[in-house]
Amino acid sequence: MAEPILNVENLSKSFGKIKAVNQLSFEVTKGQVFGILGPNGSGKSTTLSMLLDLIQPDSGSFMWFGHDPSKETRKRIGSVIESPNFFPYLDAVTNLQIVADIKDKQYDDIPEVLQMAGLYERRHSKFRTFSFGMRQRLAVASALIGSPEVLILDEPTNGLDPQGIAQIRDIISMVASRGTTILLASHLLDEVQKICNYVVVLRKGVMLFSGNVKEVLAVSDSIELSAADRQGLIAAIREFPGFSSLTENDGIIQVHFSIPADTAVINSFLAQKGIILSHLADKKRSLEQHFLELLQDTK
Amino acid sequence: MIKLLQIEFKKIRTYKIFWILTGLYFVFFSAGILLAEFMINHMVNNINSRMPIPFPHVAIYYFPDVWQNVAFFASIRYVLIFPAIIMIILITNEFTYKTIRQNVINGMSKTEFLVSKLLIILLIAVIMTLILAAGAFFIGLSHSGFNEVDFFTKGLPFMGGFFISLLCYMIYAFFCGFILRNTGLAIAIFTLYSLIIEPVIYFLFRAPFMFKNTIYTYLPVNTVIRLNEYPAIPMLKKLMGLNLQDHVSLTACLVPMAYSAIMILLVFVIMKRKDL
Repeated sequence: MAEPILNVENLSKSFGKIKAVNQLSFEVTKGQVFGILGPNGSGKSTTLSMLLDLIQPDSGSFMWFGHDPSKETRKRIGSVIESPNFFPYLDAVTNLQIVADIKDKQYDDIPEVLQMAGLYERRHSKFRTFSFGMRQRLAVASALIGSPEVLILDEPTNGLDPQGIAQIRDIISMVASRGTTILLASHLLDEVQKICNYVVVLRKGVMLFSGNVKEVLAVSDSIELSAADRQGLIAAIREFPGFSSLTENDGIIQVHFSIPADTAVINSFLAQKGIILSHLADKKRSLEQHFLELLQDTK
Repeated sequence: MIKLLQIEFKKIRTYKIFWILTGLYFVFFSAGILLAEFMINHMVNNINSRMPIPFPHVAIYYFPDVWQNVAFFASIRYVLIFPAIIMIILITNEFTYKTIRQNVINGMSKTEFLVSKLLIILLIAVIMTLILAAGAFFIGLSHSGFNEVDFFTKGLPFMGGFFISLLCYMIYAFFCGFILRNTGLAIAIFTLYSLIIEPVIYFLFRAPFMFKNTIYTYLPVNTVIRLNEYPAIPMLKKLMGLNLQDHVSLTACLVPMAYSAIMILLVFVIMKRKDL
């Protein structure tokens, strides 16, 4: 049994009539890269704010490292929540020293985390002179001070350009590879799928799914077919090895397979059965599309 | 506690606006103190040129009067506003830049955050009072002799009065900034209230001549200002037998301290209840 890092039980929070988070429960164990996935307004940030004692939950409870939450548990967690919050008129090093002071950590790691974030050369520049990408990286650097046991990231790549996104993801992978537990909230399915190995999917504060990323977000590819002899085509394709299901739409038949199917093989297979295809297309559903479907299903 | 002060000190050490405002405060009241005698005597000379019996010249830099005079100039409403603005900026910055959230996320308790801010207010008040006392000491020393030890210590309580004024006034400002959270708004309202609204209220409700005016006791900013309300001008004493203020009243000190205590209590209660 893996060591539990975070236990959340029936956590709820309302803002007026809106239930931002509703009876949320999950568990994060040591070494997991845990994703909280959901569209904007699904309660991700509210959940993280409660876990960091910024917002008082209406009901429910949570435990960090098997203890009730306190400032001492927060010192063991590194967090990047929403925008990077630093004093614009102080330089990078001073801002990080303040973080280290609060966390009761030495200043030894500051050069290292700055180097990791690619900001070492700019360490004596005032925070206000930093670009958006640099600010975000400084936030990640500050979260890494004192080698926290858990890293919490809320939309860490939001608003960054592709290069910035890649830099942040590299840092996260590096941290994850050291065995640090990571809790990542994102509305980007692609991000969760690339980084996380475990996920909960939230919609309107309610948990829809939870489980292994590969299972929950398994992508089934499909192939689109059509032919003049529609009935013959359906009969023939059902005999193709690995066939699982089909749907029909405007004369186009969409076929799902339980094992990867090659279009060339399908084409020759059907030709042997005397079916001449008028349309053959390999449809890999985009991950985003899959995510939207996942949310649609429960409406 | 030392650690909390270290954190606060890091926040202001390289903050230009803090040092500029602090510098302006010292420049203004120093200018007041150092020019006062010259200006008053210039006026006296003007009057004397038209009067058959000359008025004596004023001397305000001698022990023990120098203590009272320096405290008076440093706690004039229009000068004391500077340290108040500094405090408003220091607290509202924490909301503007969301660093208060970040401090809590990183493992500071809400109580520790408030304590650290109150500690820095206390430290600033102590340091400024010491600087002021040193300044008054040197001004006094350069004008009077060493031999009058009793004379020299007699005015020292005025420095205590100044300390209470400054401390309480900065706590008021801190309270205002904490409640309003917006730098510009807090400075505007605090300045407007301190410099205009209270004097107007005082003027409207002042007691008839020769009656003791009690409204001073209740208006928060006035309770601070009146601790060092008058300078010591020996000429007035000699000539007219008027002695406007010869000590700092302890009971008068208790009023702004009570206001401050209530404000601090409120800040703690609000902080505990409100989400960040």
